[in-house]
Amino acid sequence: MHRGKGMKFVGDSRVPAERKPNIPKDYSEYPGKTEAFWPNFLLKEWMVGAVFLIGYLCLTIAHPSPLERVADPTDTGYLPLPDWYFLFLYQLLKYTYASGPYNIIGAFIIPGLAFGALMLAPFIDRGPKRRPTQRPFATGFMLLSIASIIFLTWESVVAVDWEAKEAMGKIVEEAEIDTSSDGFVVYEENGCINCHGDNLAGGSAAPSLVGTGLTAEEVADIAKNGVGKMPPGMYKGNDEDLAKLSEFISTLEAK
Amino acid sequence: MSKQPVSRRQFLNYTLTGVGGFMAAGMLMPMVRFAVDPVLKGEAAGDYHPTQQKVSELTETPVRVDFSYEQKDAWYTSEVTSTAWVYKNNKGEIVALSPVCKHLGCTVSWEGNDHKNQFFCPCHNGLYEKSGKNVPGTPPLKPLDVYPTAEKDGLLQLGKPQANNV
Amino acid sequence: MLNKIYDWVDERLDITPLWRDIADHEVPEHVNPAHHFSAFVYCFGGLTFFVTVIQILSGMFLTMYYVPDIKNAWESVYYLQNEVAFGVIVRGMHHWGASLVIVMMFLHTLRVFFQGAYKKPRELNWVVGVLIFFVMLGLGFTGYLLPWDMKALFATKVGIEIAASTPLIGHELKVLLAGHPDIVGAQTLTRFFAIHVFFLPAALLGLMGAHFLMIRKQGISGPL
Repeated sequence: MHRGKGMKFVGDSRVPAERKPNIPKDYSEYPGKTEAFWPNFLLKEWMVGAVFLIGYLCLTIAHPSPLERVADPTDTGYLPLPDWYFLFLYQLLKYTYASGPYNIIGAFIIPGLAFGALMLAPFIDRGPKRRPTQRPFATGFMLLSIASIIFLTWESVVAVDWEAKEAMGKIVEEAEIDTSSDGFVVYEENGCINCHGDNLAGGSAAPSLVGTGLTAEEVADIAKNGVGKMPPGMYKGNDEDLAKLSEFISTLEAK
Repeated sequence: MSKQPVSRRQFLNYTLTGVGGFMAAGMLMPMVRFAVDPVLKGEAAGDYHPTQQKVSELTETPVRVDFSYEQKDAWYTSEVTSTAWVYKNNKGEIVALSPVCKHLGCTVSWEGNDHKNQFFCPCHNGLYEKSGKNVPGTPPLKPLDVYPTAEKDGLLQLGKPQANNV
Repeated sequence: MLNKIYDWVDERLDITPLWRDIADHEVPEHVNPAHHFSAFVYCFGGLTFFVTVIQILSGMFLTMYYVPDIKNAWESVYYLQNEVAFGVIVRGMHHWGASLVIVMMFLHTLRVFFQGAYKKPRELNWVVGVLIFFVMLGLGFTGYLLPWDMKALFATKVGIEIAASTPLIGHELKVLLAGHPDIVGAQTLTRFFAIHVFFLPAALLGLMGAHFLMIRKQGISGPL
């Protein structure tokens, strides 16, 4: 390539007038040792990528991404959980010496040390040896951290009742509720509203009353004798009001 | 193999392009379909919206009829108000014209600015005949859109404006 | 025809060396799974990048429908998932991609760690890589709030309370994140949206650029 004095340029630009030949580099002199990024290496990389993409698309089709009901800041019965990759931090804050007065240990010192050590690993583990067996401390600490992350995640997962959690977040059908009707007044006066909520959509302690599919008699029976977690004798009014109430609830349908 | 480095290389290049194209298609197809969905959804068949105008009271003089209806825009539902100029033509048929000027979308009015027997658009002095036909030499290039009309319980109902063929 | 256009541009801008340099750079044989199957561990970095590309694309498309506003956010997500063609897939790609990118990045980190590939002269690249990890976790955390469903709101409340327990600057940090001293609401959502869509991706692109430049400069670490 021509350099220095006498070099020709395209117009008054800094682009050399001499074209570089567009010929791929020849790797045949190093058989088996190296290969070109394009196309040799990238082809293998992209084949792996294509297989991965197929799996990925199958996952998205098989499992539609979850969407819970719209956020309701007044619903205090909801059990919040972070995304799975934060569960180990979440679990850590449950332990006595990592929460309460020691919160700073669980929330800052332990994660800070762990992530700080991760970031500064090249400056802590400075020896020239690279094999995992030749640097027992680095390998040991890493294995220990992975084990504790897996353990903490596992602990937090088994502690959750996933079915109940799913029910808490489910999108509930809402009914057009006539709050001036006799039935609703009875519902309110008898304290049903405390558990089943002011739009009868239920909550953490009680199921939704919308679209139950029960007859008025069955509703009246449940109101008096309870069902499931609901104890008997919750309804304390007279029979006339009970009839109004059960009629009201059995006719509720989602809009 | 090393005797024909070029053809091997070309083969690799074609395969690579193929695999890359497959990946790009797999990724982009759902996304592009997602983006163009409004284009492919097509227009919903126009419903007739009720108005408060009694059909029996319509004359040969255009009257302004305001009406409103519920419009659903994806997750947003709103009450939209619309207007039409309605009259009976000499055959006794009801004609309902959209007041939206075909020039730049301003609102025309009947006999506005003392233009006898014409619709007038104040923005650029556009003029239309009573039939909705644009007057040559004024800015609009097309006649006013016309609403399909229907009658229910003696009241006028209007559909979605269509191109006028007068 | 195409060749002529290429020559025309090349004459003026000398673009051949730019891409030839990328296309021809050598990759050592020991990272190629076709030679040693165990070399598949070298794919995790590339797959992380691949998922990141999918995340950026699907995120761009999702914002065609999504509104960062507490009244409409949930409605718009519900709409795009249930009413728009392929909405389930595009949102699914973004949702599951968020998990996959963490998995892939974790595996990539472990590969580099156990091979000791972060040792001299590659210390800085490791630090940049860990920073990318943090940015990804931040993207996961801020993206979680956006659909404005129950999980979003309450998980974010917990996250913000953890930030509030920071010594000394806890309260300020909380207000900075939530936009309001007491409420996790309208202002929190717009803030998280801005962080999720503009600030963190910008940081991510910068860091990834640095990561790749350093790999090009130093080459892939040799076999063990």
